[in-house]
Amino acid sequence: VTSLAEHSEIASTQLLDTASYDTVVIPLTAAPAPAAPGRPWWRRPWLPLGALVVAILAIQAWNITGYPFASDDEGTYLAQAWAVQHGIGLAHYTYWYDHPPLGWLQLAALSWLPALFLPEHLAVATGRLAMLPVTAVSLILVHTLCRRIGFARWAALLAVVLYGLSPLSVTMQRQIYLDSFAVAWMLAAFVLALSPRRHLWHHVGAGVAVAVAVLSKETMLVVLPAVVLALLGQGTARGLRAYSAAGFTAGLVLVGVFYPVYAMLKGELLPGSGHVSLVGAWQFQLQSRSGSGTIFTAGSGANKLLHSWLYYDNVLLYGGVAATVAALFVRRLRAPALAAALLTAMAMRPGGYLPAMYVIQALPFLAIALAGVTEVVVKRLWTMDPSTYPWVRGLGRWPGRWARWAPVAALVVAAGLAVAIVVPRWYDGDSRALTASDNDRYTQAAAWMRKLPDHGGTRVVTDDVLWLDLVRAGFGREHVIWFYKLDLDPAVAKTLPDGWRDINYLVSTPAMRSDPGGLPTIVVLANHSTVVASFGTGADRIEIRQVTREGT
Amino acid sequence: MILWGDGAMASVVVLAVSCALFAFAAITLWWTMHAWRTPETLAATRFATPDGSQALSFSLLVPARHEQQVLEHTVTRLLDSTHRDFEILVIVGHDDPETAAVAHRLVEAAPGRVAVVIDTHEVKNKPKALNTALPLCRGDVVGVFDAEDQVDPDLLDHVDHAFRSTRADVVQGGVQLINFHSSWYSLHNCLEYFFWFRSRLHLQASKGFIPLGGNTVFVRTRLLRDAGGWDSNCLAEDCDLGVRLSSRGAKVVVAYDSTLVTREETPDSLVGLFKQRTRWNQGFLQVLRKGEWRALPSFWQRMLARYTLTGPFMQAFSAVAVPVGVIMALFVNVPVEVAMLSFAPLMPMAATLLFQMAGLRDFGDQYKLSIGPKHYLKLIVGAFPYMLLLSAAAARAVYREWTGRNNWELTRHVGAHLTAAVPGPVAADGSAA
Repeated sequence: VTSLAEHSEIASTQLLDTASYDTVVIPLTAAPAPAAPGRPWWRRPWLPLGALVVAILAIQAWNITGYPFASDDEGTYLAQAWAVQHGIGLAHYTYWYDHPPLGWLQLAALSWLPALFLPEHLAVATGRLAMLPVTAVSLILVHTLCRRIGFARWAALLAVVLYGLSPLSVTMQRQIYLDSFAVAWMLAAFVLALSPRRHLWHHVGAGVAVAVAVLSKETMLVVLPAVVLALLGQGTARGLRAYSAAGFTAGLVLVGVFYPVYAMLKGELLPGSGHVSLVGAWQFQLQSRSGSGTIFTAGSGANKLLHSWLYYDNVLLYGGVAATVAALFVRRLRAPALAAALLTAMAMRPGGYLPAMYVIQALPFLAIALAGVTEVVVKRLWTMDPSTYPWVRGLGRWPGRWARWAPVAALVVAAGLAVAIVVPRWYDGDSRALTASDNDRYTQAAAWMRKLPDHGGTRVVTDDVLWLDLVRAGFGREHVIWFYKLDLDPAVAKTLPDGWRDINYLVSTPAMRSDPGGLPTIVVLANHSTVVASFGTGADRIEIRQVTREGT
Repeated sequence: MILWGDGAMASVVVLAVSCALFAFAAITLWWTMHAWRTPETLAATRFATPDGSQALSFSLLVPARHEQQVLEHTVTRLLDSTHRDFEILVIVGHDDPETAAVAHRLVEAAPGRVAVVIDTHEVKNKPKALNTALPLCRGDVVGVFDAEDQVDPDLLDHVDHAFRSTRADVVQGGVQLINFHSSWYSLHNCLEYFFWFRSRLHLQASKGFIPLGGNTVFVRTRLLRDAGGWDSNCLAEDCDLGVRLSSRGAKVVVAYDSTLVTREETPDSLVGLFKQRTRWNQGFLQVLRKGEWRALPSFWQRMLARYTLTGPFMQAFSAVAVPVGVIMALFVNVPVEVAMLSFAPLMPMAATLLFQMAGLRDFGDQYKLSIGPKHYLKLIVGAFPYMLLLSAAAARAVYREWTGRNNWELTRHVGAHLTAAVPGPVAADGSAA
């Protein structure tokens, strides 16, 4: 056996050392850059971000069970995650395609842990701990996204601070909302679309991330054009654009299509008698669901909601929207600004339905726009030297000399003003979140119910918040009933041959009483029951009412 | 087993088959898209710009069999090469006077440049023809072209530079079918070549296991002689040569440039394509059975060899098994999660189709061809029938190999690619050239 090198004059002179049957590997790409010279750990670039994320998470976590008041939706999602964990299905009632299920499938992967360690506490309150990793991921992704669109380190950290410490984020991201999952995936989509290596499979991943985001919370679909802009406008190279677009589409469509495929396999794709359907649910969401008015009409549902958001934080909302308009004119900021603009426009559309947690989707993009525009202005002022302007020189020697420091002085004043405006507001908002204990009533009601004898045959009607606590306390899953299912789910009605008379207890909560639908059975139950325990006072009270079977 | 319900058994089968098919399709897609992963990988697939010095000499082998229609054009174009040191050996059969007449005319036109080699084997095939000419080659490098090839005049210059700058033992240039407009299957056939030579082959080269193409392949003459030339009993002698040289640790370089590719035509009929694919598949099987790839140094190279050589058969299986799995999922009583999983192999398949649409667009850009909506439509509508055609060819190859039939079914060429730059009806006699 002779050496290969003999076959080539060139090889025989230059490759003597390596002449063997082994393949000669000549690296096609440049060798990786040598590792950064030993920097001490306290100067590593990730350290400020790490410290910031830990601090924000600490603020998120502190008193997470006490504030804000547990919402009905939180209970719904947590109960559905519980149903997934226990192999019952996508919900413990008939899943009717109200939302795509990926959000609470992810929640199910996280929420078992707090339930394991804190079984005696209010389920919704402790379940919120599952949202902390989601917040952490979103914070880090905001930072990565900012760096990928060319933010300086300080500006990227500013975006993280704006996003993480706004009392609106501190309040809403504590809560168990699907939007937090969706927004994390959408941020991941941007990060992948803007991958510095411009790798085809990152672009496929961006499509997958969008699909997962939309299947976590369907309203996230509004942001899709902004991701496409990021991908095709900045993320791809010439000659590869068509492949990136194809890969992105493949990731998006081929993962997204599994939702209708699931419905089809269950025979629930198209509306029909006697079963729920995906298309039927869409028709309901788009046509039948009553709108919440426009945010511009005082007193409309949307307007009240807007004011509740502004109550928590008007800095990020007003400042962010203003910055979004400006950021649309800065090329590198355009993609996240478009995301914020689309979400804002969607919220402003007249007559649509605006969910309470909708704002969560916009928060990171508003923060990025605000930090980005701040950076542009700061850099502009920092490098500005008015002393070179002819008209300034014309003012004489002293003004000319001092003019050079005018932009810096303006910056200092502006920064001081911003701090003076933002810090007191955010301090108030965040300290409320750290100290208020709004969920005592729920906790007490749950404790009272837990002590109730003979759980086996007792039927309780409650809201979604307390449902999981009662099931964990030993009430049968079929015997604890979400109040609105009584009138809306024929499968539930079937389990109650004597109608409302089969109910033993009604736990009346603000969520139940505020329901504008005027659910008939709830009204009947309220009229045929007596208060046996009451927690709190006024409109926010929680009453446990024992049903008296007399009457009609 | 009997204790299990029908549903459980079906579930296990659907799960196992779906996972395997998904993995196969996903890996294949990953590798197929190799060149387009990043701008850097794409740039690395191109020929480097030649330095102007021409240090090597070439012997170009052109086997021709009943190809009098196209041979003259091919050789005339080869003679236009800008390289100064090359010879052309046209190999014709002793029983093929028409082609021989064309060859002799070419010798008269360019004495010293062109020579005719007569192949006197009773049963003729391409490797025998090539081996007949190999002892007569005087160049440092042997290059192979087919009689219908359209070779760029600058190619030899680039290949010369590639050999010297990369210290390669083998250089494989790009080959591209061009007549995408001829029929629905030629569109798919063209795209197959585009993805193979533009992208996949580069991955194979970088991993150290490459089935070489049938032409525009250049090997150092001494290496080729030491390896014993081509295997005259193999139906895919090109693939076999690549495998043998890979196994010996030869350094193979693949370079693709749309301006330098060798242009070819698709088989002129569906049956022709079917037979050609049968021959290739059977050749792959023969190479697999010969087992020279077992000499590859690393485990992963041997796995890649297995994977590459059995690829056509896995693909054939997929084309049939995936629809069957989906139908099973729809009509057999399996849990909805399992049924959803049976759709998983469709994902890489559908993604492949989307990438092919991007590839068709790119193909049009690269070769200045106008691609219209009807071509995209042909691509989409024809995708599944084309897969079935390939599956049938794979099945036939297995059957023929099983029953020991390994005669050479030649592909007929009419010169459709010579007019391909102007889409339109093709002259059946090749006179358009």
